[in-house]
Amino acid sequence: MSSVIEVHGVSKAFRIPSVRRETVREHFLHALQPRRFERLQVLDRVTFEVRRGEGVGIMGRNGSGKSTLLKIMSGVYRPDEGAVIARAPVTPILELGVGWNAELDAVDNILLIGTVMGLRLAEIRAQMDEILAFAELERFANLKLKHYSSGMAERLGYSVAFKAVTDILILDEVLAVGDAGFRARCEQRYLELRGQGHTAIVVSHNPRIISTFCDRAMLIDAGRIVMEGSGTEVVERYSTMLAQGRHDPAAGGPPA
Amino acid sequence: MNGNPGSYLMPAAADVAPTRTTALGARAWRVRAGLIWTLVRTDFKARYHGTLGGFVWALGKPLTMFVVLMAVFSFLFAQKPTYKLDLIVGLFLWDFFADGTKTGLMSLAAKGYLLTKARVPPWILVVTSVSNALITLIVFSVVITVFLLAAGRPPSPAALVAFAGYACALLAIVIGFSLASSVLFLRYHDLNQVWDVVVSAGFFLAPIIYPLDILPERFHFYLYIWPPTPVIEFSRSALVRGILPTPTGHLYLAFDAAVCLAAGILIFVRLSPRAAEYI
Repeated sequence: MSSVIEVHGVSKAFRIPSVRRETVREHFLHALQPRRFERLQVLDRVTFEVRRGEGVGIMGRNGSGKSTLLKIMSGVYRPDEGAVIARAPVTPILELGVGWNAELDAVDNILLIGTVMGLRLAEIRAQMDEILAFAELERFANLKLKHYSSGMAERLGYSVAFKAVTDILILDEVLAVGDAGFRARCEQRYLELRGQGHTAIVVSHNPRIISTFCDRAMLIDAGRIVMEGSGTEVVERYSTMLAQGRHDPAAGGPPA
Repeated sequence: MNGNPGSYLMPAAADVAPTRTTALGARAWRVRAGLIWTLVRTDFKARYHGTLGGFVWALGKPLTMFVVLMAVFSFLFAQKPTYKLDLIVGLFLWDFFADGTKTGLMSLAAKGYLLTKARVPPWILVVTSVSNALITLIVFSVVITVFLLAAGRPPSPAALVAFAGYACALLAIVIGFSLASSVLFLRYHDLNQVWDVVVSAGFFLAPIIYPLDILPERFHFYLYIWPPTPVIEFSRSALVRGILPTPTGHLYLAFDAAVCLAAGILIFVRLSPRAAEYI
C-alpha cells in the first residue's frame, strides 16, 4: 500500500535563554547584558512513513517530543530540518480543550473551529445538530463559551474535530478526556473512521489504546524513534522504560 | 545539520487523485472564504453584541470626541470656515487608523488558539481583524457624503474617487503595520503599551484638531512622514475644499502606503512561520 504521510529526517530544537526577555522594556534595559542560550533538541532526525488506512500509535514519556512531532505533522510547527509530505488532507485533534472565543456561543465557535479544520460553512451548518448531540450540549447551543465548564468545552472541540476528518486523523491523547460515556463515544467514532479506511496517528500514554486501536506503534525517547513494532511490543517496552525510571539507552541523547 | 529550513508539503492531493486537483483547490478556497466570513462576522458580533445598537454605540466614540473638540477649538480657529468639516474628516480617519492598528497588533495573540489547532494561514487572522474598523470607516464615508450634500457642498465624483483612493492607502498602511506588529507582539509582550504611547502622541502629530497651516511651512515635511497626515490632509482637500492634491502628492502617498505594506509583509513572511511556537 502507498504511503499517505512521510516524515523525512525531521529535527526540531528550541533555544531556551538563560534569562527570559519578553518585553521591549527588558530588551532595552538589559541590552548590554549577554544571554546564554541552551539548545533543547526536541526531535532528532525522525524518519518514518504511514501507509493508507493504517493506525499508528506513538508512545513516549512527557517531554520526549511526541506532541511536537504531531504539531509538525499537522503543519502547525515548522521543522528546523527535514520535511513532511502529506498526500492527503490532515485533520489534527490537538489541544482542543483550550482556546475558544469566550464571548461567542457554541454555534459560532463551532463555525469558527470547523472552518479552521477545513469544513465548508454549509457542511458545518448541516451537521450542527449532530455535533452538539455528540458533545451532549444541545441545550447549551446558545450559551456563551465563557459560561462553559472546561469539560464541556473539551467535548465540543472533539465533537467538531471528529466531524471534520476528511482523510488523515492525528490525535493527541484524545481518547482520554471526558467521562466514561463520552470516551466510549469517541472510541466508537474512532473505530468507525478506521472502518471507513481513514489513516490515524495516535499519541497516548494509555497502553490499552495503543495495543487495541493501533496496527503498529513507535516508541519515542529524547526526540528519536527508539523502537517500532506491534502495539503490544511497544507498550511492553514503554512500561519497562517507565519502571526503570530512566531514558532509553538506544536513544543516545540526554534524558528529556 | 545542513542548515536548510524544514518544509511541509501538501501537494494538493495530486498523488492521490490527479483528476480531482482542481476540485480540491476550489474546495480549499470555499473553506477559506467561509473562514474569512466567519471571522469578520464573529468579530462584529463579539464587539457590538450582535446588534445594530451596539454598532451605533461604537460610532458614538468619535462623535463624542467631535462634539467636545468642536465646542472648544472652533472658537480658537473661528477664522477658518471649514474647521468643523476638517475636524470630523480628520477624526474619523484617525479613529480608523488608531482602532485598526490596535486591533491588528493584538490579532495573532487574540486568535492564537486557532493557529495551534490546525494549519491556518496566519495572515487571514490579521487582515480580517481590521474589518470592524473598516466597516466603521465605510459607514462614516457614506454619512459624510450625505452631510456634505445636505450642507450644499456636494463633493465631485473625482473628489469621491480620490477619497476612496486615500482610504485604500490608509487601509494598506494599517494592514502593513498590523502584519508586522502582530508577529512582533508575540515576541515583545509590551508592544501594545509602546504603541498606545505612539498613538497618543501621534494624535497631536497629525493635524487633526489644528489646521496644518498654523505651523511654519518648513515643519510640514516632517509631519507628512507620519503616515496618517497625508491621508487626512488630502481627504480634507478633496472632500471639503474640492481641490485635488498635486500628482507629486499622490505619488508620495502611494509610495508611503506601498512601503508600509511591503515592510509589513516582509516582516510577517519572515516571522509568521514560527508564530504558533510563541503562543
